[in-house]
Amino acid sequence: MQDDPGRFAASVLPHLDAAYNLARWLVRDAHDAQDVVQDALVRALRHFDGFRGGDPRPWLLAIVRNAAFAWLGARRTGEVDFADHEHELAAALALDAPPADPESLAIRRAERREIDAAIAALPIAFREALVLRELEELSYRDIARITDVPIGTVMSRLSRARHLLAVALRPEAARNLA
Amino acid sequence: MNDDDLWLDALLDDELDAPASLALQRRLAAEPALQQRLDERRALREAIRAQATRHAAPDELRANLMAMLPSRADAPASPPAARERGAARRRMALPWAAGIGGALVATLCTLAVVAPASLGWHRGAAIGDLQTAEASEAVSAHTRALLVDHPIEVASSDQHTVRPWLSARLNFVPPVTDFAPQGFPLVGARRDVLSGETAAALVYRHGAHVISVFARPVDPSAPRAAEATRVVRGFNVIERTQGGLAFCFVSDANPHELRTLADLVAPPAGG
Repeated sequence: MQDDPGRFAASVLPHLDAAYNLARWLVRDAHDAQDVVQDALVRALRHFDGFRGGDPRPWLLAIVRNAAFAWLGARRTGEVDFADHEHELAAALALDAPPADPESLAIRRAERREIDAAIAALPIAFREALVLRELEELSYRDIARITDVPIGTVMSRLSRARHLLAVALRPEAARNLA
Repeated sequence: MNDDDLWLDALLDDELDAPASLALQRRLAAEPALQQRLDERRALREAIRAQATRHAAPDELRANLMAMLPSRADAPASPPAARERGAARRRMALPWAAGIGGALVATLCTLAVVAPASLGWHRGAAIGDLQTAEASEAVSAHTRALLVDHPIEVASSDQHTVRPWLSARLNFVPPVTDFAPQGFPLVGARRDVLSGETAAALVYRHGAHVISVFARPVDPSAPRAAEATRVVRGFNVIERTQGGLAFCFVSDANPHELRTLADLVAPPAGG
């Protein structure tokens, strides 16, 4: 069964776009994302007999995610050391006063490039949670498995990601991003 | 950024169980500021889903993958043209996703998941499809219960406590037995909603695993598979119809252990 390339293709091909999308958002470069997915596919094929059935998408995305982090780590981008900074970031967010004026947080009809820029500017831990939730529509549990953290951490990262986006997409802030 | 946001997000993400959703609904009704925050969160989410770029795999990558495979005879390649940038097209492909943003009621009742299945059923879809949707719903209920860390409304290993609690609240009573001697201690029970109907949810433990056992009455004249085993989003699911009740066993415990409990709770007919 593990020698069945047809089964591998049937499991992986439908999720190739999801794999590329995740890689693209993590490494933020089209060419590098291709390299990452290709690397991930090689790993996925090698370990396909370890895949015990079920939904192949979280399984594949976890491999892509690890490949992306390995790629980022090898290039010493500093992005993958987010764990150390998470507490500082949380503290900074907590200081951000809630909006006194309800309209200040109201999201305008933001342009696609503004939203893309705001997502791309998120710290990677928040970015990956947000992309997996909003663009790939995965459950908290799947996101927890893919990103290898407890569900509670997924919840707080998602919430912080959304808070940062809301702040970034305020009318007065969006101009600087776009 | 505060704790309320976590709960509002979980509500929008359909990750709260019925009791937690109801509690939050009551607060939303009483606190306009909280409702305002929810509306803002929903607007943000809709903006992201409608506008953020979902990058499609380049043709080159697809070709490289095909080249990697020794045989490409019957690989079901999805044509790149079918892929739409942005989320709009995907909404149409996933009709329930469109409902999530708007309808709180749908979120509460997890109708969002049921709707496609019941539409299909009216068009005469196979019983198997309907039951697959039920299994998927049961897995969602199970994971929501794990998530909010309140999987039980009545916490007791005493079947003489749990059974009367359920019978006071439901118009049917499932079998309630503590199987601690067999390695499946009863932890408690709660009410849940499956396929739009109230179901009893018994919670057992087996080692580190939590097992949800859903039970609800079924129309004996409706055709149903007596037994089905599946894997849904990484969880093992056993469905069994027995004595006028549809049981659904959900856990990340292995299928053999899950079946052991299934055979204790609802012994197979003639077995």
